[in-house]
Amino acid sequence: MAAPLALRRDFFSLARILGGISQLGPRGLSACSSHRKCSQTPFHFLQTSSPFFHTATYLSSTPLAITVTDEPDTLFQKVLVLVKAHDRAVLDSYEFFATMAAKELGITMGKVSEPPKDIERLTLLKSVHIYKKHRVQYEMRTHYRCIELLHITGCTAQVYLEYIQRNLPEGVAMEVTKTAMEKIPDHILEPIWKDHPIDDKSSK
Amino acid sequence: MAASLSSSGSARLMTALARSSMLHNSFESRSLHVTAVCCKNRAARIRIGKGDRPLTYEQAHHPHQIAHRKGWLSQHTSNLKGVEGAAERTVEDVFIRRFMFGTFHGCLANEVVIKRRGNMLVVCALMLQKLPPQKFYFLIGYSESLLSHFYKCPVKLDIQTLQDKAVYKYL
Repeated sequence: MAAPLALRRDFFSLARILGGISQLGPRGLSACSSHRKCSQTPFHFLQTSSPFFHTATYLSSTPLAITVTDEPDTLFQKVLVLVKAHDRAVLDSYEFFATMAAKELGITMGKVSEPPKDIERLTLLKSVHIYKKHRVQYEMRTHYRCIELLHITGCTAQVYLEYIQRNLPEGVAMEVTKTAMEKIPDHILEPIWKDHPIDDKSSK
Repeated sequence: MAASLSSSGSARLMTALARSSMLHNSFESRSLHVTAVCCKNRAARIRIGKGDRPLTYEQAHHPHQIAHRKGWLSQHTSNLKGVEGAAERTVEDVFIRRFMFGTFHGCLANEVVIKRRGNMLVVCALMLQKLPPQKFYFLIGYSESLLSHFYKCPVKLDIQTLQDKAVYKYL
């Protein structure tokens, strides 16, 4: 139990640093990261409802409250972060940033793989009217990068993912897949035939 | 001799006309001669001229150099695979470019770059120092508040000013 509390204290200091960096609301994250997530973890930390829109100065808003609960923290066997972009160089630098951040926070990293790129091609007519034989081809390339984090707790995952997502470059989308570990329910720990010995078969 | 020459010449003319892609009704009428379309690309290209026209880096490179020597002017995630909303972003971009061109009339040194970071719209532009700074600040604040009220998201303008346009080459 001490470990999640310690993590939450670390999270508070990290969030204070993050609060000094940018003053964006949490709803800003959803437009950049993808809609598909296995578990929807809401990042409602900075609940600032400011009437003005443009952020000229970077000031930290209300200080974050530490929530200390007794319930056990969720454990994730694997957290897969898939980043998509049009530019491979941007993904290279983002991967360097994410791996460095994970190393500094002490998170065990799995493999960092690069799935093959997807090219979507369109063939359109070059001219406004007739000339069917002359066409123009456009293509849209999507490059991927997959970062795996192994054996991570819920609080650490929350902090790390929020840090990663706040520093996501423009034009880069992220999909997070979390594989959680749950305790086996008690009623299936022991096989049923041990408690109820089979004696009705002899009657049949 | 002369007659035969002229007849052979006219025969060659007729065969040449017959080889062209348009047909003609009778030999007396003038026919329409159409060649295949000259398939040179003309998109986003400034043709070579006398050598007195200054071009910026953006204008000098052709569109097939995008992702090679050129970057993107509008950066958002809706053109990636599996992400929707490309048409809405494009319409917003067109409006923002026209708005910037009109608000800072004659001051734009290069194309406007539009970035979307989360909910925020960042509009980056290079300006010439044609107006006094107070007018610039007023126009920046005015466009920021107007665009943010229009698009219901925080809009930030990143303006850099230059003395003259940055010339890459002359064509």
